[in-house]
Amino acid sequence: METSLLPADIEQARQAFPEALAACRDLDALLRLKGAYVGREGSLAARLMDLLKAAPKEQKRELGAAANALKNEWEEGLKARTAELEAERARTAALAGAWDPALPSPQPATGALHPLNRLMDRLVDVFRPLGYHVEEGPEAETEEHNFDGLNIPEDHPARGSADTFYFRDANGLLLRTHTSPVQVRVLKRIGARGPDGVSELERAGGIRFLAPGRVYRKDEIDPTHSPMFHQVEGMLVGKGIGMHHLKGTLAYAMKALFGPQADVRFRPSYFPFVEPGAEMDVRCPLCGGSGCRVCKGSGWVELLGSGLIHPNVLAYAGIDPSVWSGFAFGMGVERTAMMVSQTPDLRLFFENDQRFLKTMGGLD
Amino acid sequence: MLIETGALAQELPALAGRSAQELCDLLAGLGFPVDGVETVAGAQVLEVDITANRGDAQSHRGMARDLAAKLGAPLAPLGLEPVPAGAPGLPIHLEAGAAGPYYATAILDLGAAQGTPGPVKAFLAALGAGAKDLPAVDASNELLHRYGHPTHAFDADRIQGFLAVRWAREGEKLVTLDGVERQLTPKDLLIADASGPVALAGVMGGDGTKVSAATRRVLLESAYFDPRTVRAMAHRHGLHTDASHRFGRGADPAMAPVARDLLALRLRDWAGAKLVSAWAVGELPMAKAAIGLPWSLVDRIAGQAIAPAEASRILEGLGCVLAPLDGGVQVQPPSWRHDLSLAEDLAEEVLRLLGYDLIPGSLPPLDSDPQPLADDYLKRRRLASRLAHMGFFQTVTLGFGDPVEREDGHDLGDHPHHRTLGNPLGEDYSLMRGTLLRDLDKVARLNLEKGAREVRFFEIAPVFEAHPGQPLRETWTLALVWGGEQGGEDPLTPPRSLAGAEGRSHLQGVLQALGIPPATFENFNRWELTGVEGGSKVRLGWHFEIPLERIPDAGARIIPKFAPFSRFPAVARDLSLLVGLDQAYAPLQAAMAAALAGAPLQDLRCVDVFRHKSLPPGRQAWLMRMRFQALDRTLTGEEVETWVQAALAAAQSQGAQLRG
Repeated sequence: METSLLPADIEQARQAFPEALAACRDLDALLRLKGAYVGREGSLAARLMDLLKAAPKEQKRELGAAANALKNEWEEGLKARTAELEAERARTAALAGAWDPALPSPQPATGALHPLNRLMDRLVDVFRPLGYHVEEGPEAETEEHNFDGLNIPEDHPARGSADTFYFRDANGLLLRTHTSPVQVRVLKRIGARGPDGVSELERAGGIRFLAPGRVYRKDEIDPTHSPMFHQVEGMLVGKGIGMHHLKGTLAYAMKALFGPQADVRFRPSYFPFVEPGAEMDVRCPLCGGSGCRVCKGSGWVELLGSGLIHPNVLAYAGIDPSVWSGFAFGMGVERTAMMVSQTPDLRLFFENDQRFLKTMGGLD
Repeated sequence: MLIETGALAQELPALAGRSAQELCDLLAGLGFPVDGVETVAGAQVLEVDITANRGDAQSHRGMARDLAAKLGAPLAPLGLEPVPAGAPGLPIHLEAGAAGPYYATAILDLGAAQGTPGPVKAFLAALGAGAKDLPAVDASNELLHRYGHPTHAFDADRIQGFLAVRWAREGEKLVTLDGVERQLTPKDLLIADASGPVALAGVMGGDGTKVSAATRRVLLESAYFDPRTVRAMAHRHGLHTDASHRFGRGADPAMAPVARDLLALRLRDWAGAKLVSAWAVGELPMAKAAIGLPWSLVDRIAGQAIAPAEASRILEGLGCVLAPLDGGVQVQPPSWRHDLSLAEDLAEEVLRLLGYDLIPGSLPPLDSDPQPLADDYLKRRRLASRLAHMGFFQTVTLGFGDPVEREDGHDLGDHPHHRTLGNPLGEDYSLMRGTLLRDLDKVARLNLEKGAREVRFFEIAPVFEAHPGQPLRETWTLALVWGGEQGGEDPLTPPRSLAGAEGRSHLQGVLQALGIPPATFENFNRWELTGVEGGSKVRLGWHFEIPLERIPDAGARIIPKFAPFSRFPAVARDLSLLVGLDQAYAPLQAAMAAALAGAPLQDLRCVDVFRHKSLPPGRQAWLMRMRFQALDRTLTGEEVETWVQAALAAAQSQGAQLRG
């Protein structure tokens, strides 16, 4: 046999070659293997050449053929493995810059406006195209602005310390129980005559504004009551203002707020600072009008109180009710927010749980 | 108030056969929304919401009167047989003037005891007012619910000498029917006999003169009492009774003699009582002056022309007496309508009975100049929106605090007792807050306790500040809190704690982004959001608050003034400096910047802090980056090198070394 011409260690190396080749996981290892088998010096192939040179003449031809075949076998094996490893290296290099987009993405921080603020902002935005601006007043108010100027009788229970918070020693100041004192402040301001004898109201020909804000009543905290809540008050003063203007304005606003399908009704009511008085109800959002716990079986939920400004309120501010007329309305922000969102507990709005704010709030 | 629909239909037969839903709609349209419909022992009961001005509507008859006017249908007759007036059975003195101007009474001998008729008991039961089976008591109660006029029955044999309607005297006492002894004041209006008080007028009878099963003779009371006086008494004694509700909102004075007669007749029919004598003292209050109603006012309020004949028909239907007037009508309201005193009130009645549904809706013409939204208001909205976009959640907190604000590290330098409520819900709610941070911290801690990893909140609200002799100040304020741990939720954002010292830098970055000048927050000394963990105080994050007036409003000017910028290349150079671990940044940065005063320096800042054991002990490495850019030319390498060397020399003068 030809192989019998080769020394035993070379024969062994020959048999080990395919496995050694496969064991090379990178090009460096392959280079080392290449050096050991077919390198110029000290390799198995070099030793074969030496054996060939030293072989007796009659063996040279046979041994030469075997050595060449063996060297070719090794070189081809190395070449093929090199190509394989190079391809693999290229593939790895290409993957190193890759990223599976399905891995979790970093999220930009997103916060939210409080739902009550959003609703108040929204109301301002709804009334803005009608020419309303925003007026504000302090939360610590006088009895005059909170009650007297609003035609609320001296002995009205709301004035009592069971309903209204009074400061201990701050000259009869109280925490306003509604946003209506802003009406009194604005009416007094625009009704006051300047040095030229003309009032701001006469100069401007009218006024229309919203007064959003925090108000306080002496209620214990429970699922439907809070000692602090928000109202949005609206007022318009002009000439020849009637209930049709109030109704038209509120109908516009409710549709802008709740959508064109909003079903509202306008019915008589009473508040000391308006005459006539009216309330607007909305068809119960929970039961759709068939009667449920939220609407107490009536199918309607009260949305806001309103009316034409009482002549006494105008007169109190020095505005002649035979010349000027107007309307006012007030909406409870929490009540509306709860109704629209079907939030079961008022306290959720003041607990400020991030999970609540995340789902209920939003960005503008 | 509760209305039993069967009894309502007895007063207004036209209602028979109408469904509860129809009734609810009719009542709501008249201004009496129904809050609930219930069936009680086979009777249908409506819970009707009656506004405070309509004392006259607080009965079945009163409600039927409005419905009759709406439907144009007649009320059932009262079935009254007038009781003949007789000689006074005992003296009655009216000593309180207009507070108690009229007193109708009768004395009756009760016959063999008979019970209250079944239908009346059922009626009272449906209204939740259980019958006592004492005809005098039950009849009075039934009359109140049916006709709205409160009456009272005394045990006549327990009345001594005379009756007086008078003011209480200091120190007088009365045990009322509910068994409570009441301390009386000279503002209390009484019914008294020779022995002293026997009833709180219009509010509640006395226990000592009450009718019992043993009563043989009754003395009836059907009077008129001044609404304000009764309201004040009910309020003072916390005694809000059916009677005080009706007198307090204004009873119909004309009903006083009628109710006496109705009560006497019921006792005759139910218990075989025999009239001893019936009489009355005093005068009913004068009717109020008639009101002139111009038709133009009705038209203006209604937003459409209302035919005078139609308006007149409505007013007459409500019981008004009309007389002609040029361009309008002179209206005398009926005795039960105390709420009608202005022409506007009458216009409302016309509109109410026509139905608010018929009011056309239209927007008022814009006949005055609209005003812009105030800058302060817009600034708050922009700020809130900005912060929400930066990842902060807006909070709304109640604003009541406890008095330990100062001890809690929030001494605000004012006089907190001047912003303390006199009648708070409790001590924890007694102080109007001088800082938003305490409430905001509570929110942050609560969220962390509930498992939030990171908390970012802000609130914009007024805080109070009080100084003696000065008006209470309210200042719109922004407060921010940022704590917990950020990141670590995805492979690209490593986790980092915000509780560490560097957490404050994160918050300051937000303040700077809002345009708050660093000088403003350098003086702030309440930075730490703390909590308690394992019994000891730990830092959870950082917070800050500032009055809004001190935050520049970046959005106020829609298009700012143009600022030129360079079109030539910028050159950046880094210096790695070894500095002490206690090196202050500001003076080093300032010294380097001062050395570059003549250079076109765009920016100079530390972009990396390196702390490692490989550095010399007590030292850290700061990588300072300078960016140069001229408006007019490309910079040369030589000049940049000169500036860098100058900056390095300045840093070295502050104790820094160039890191090799």
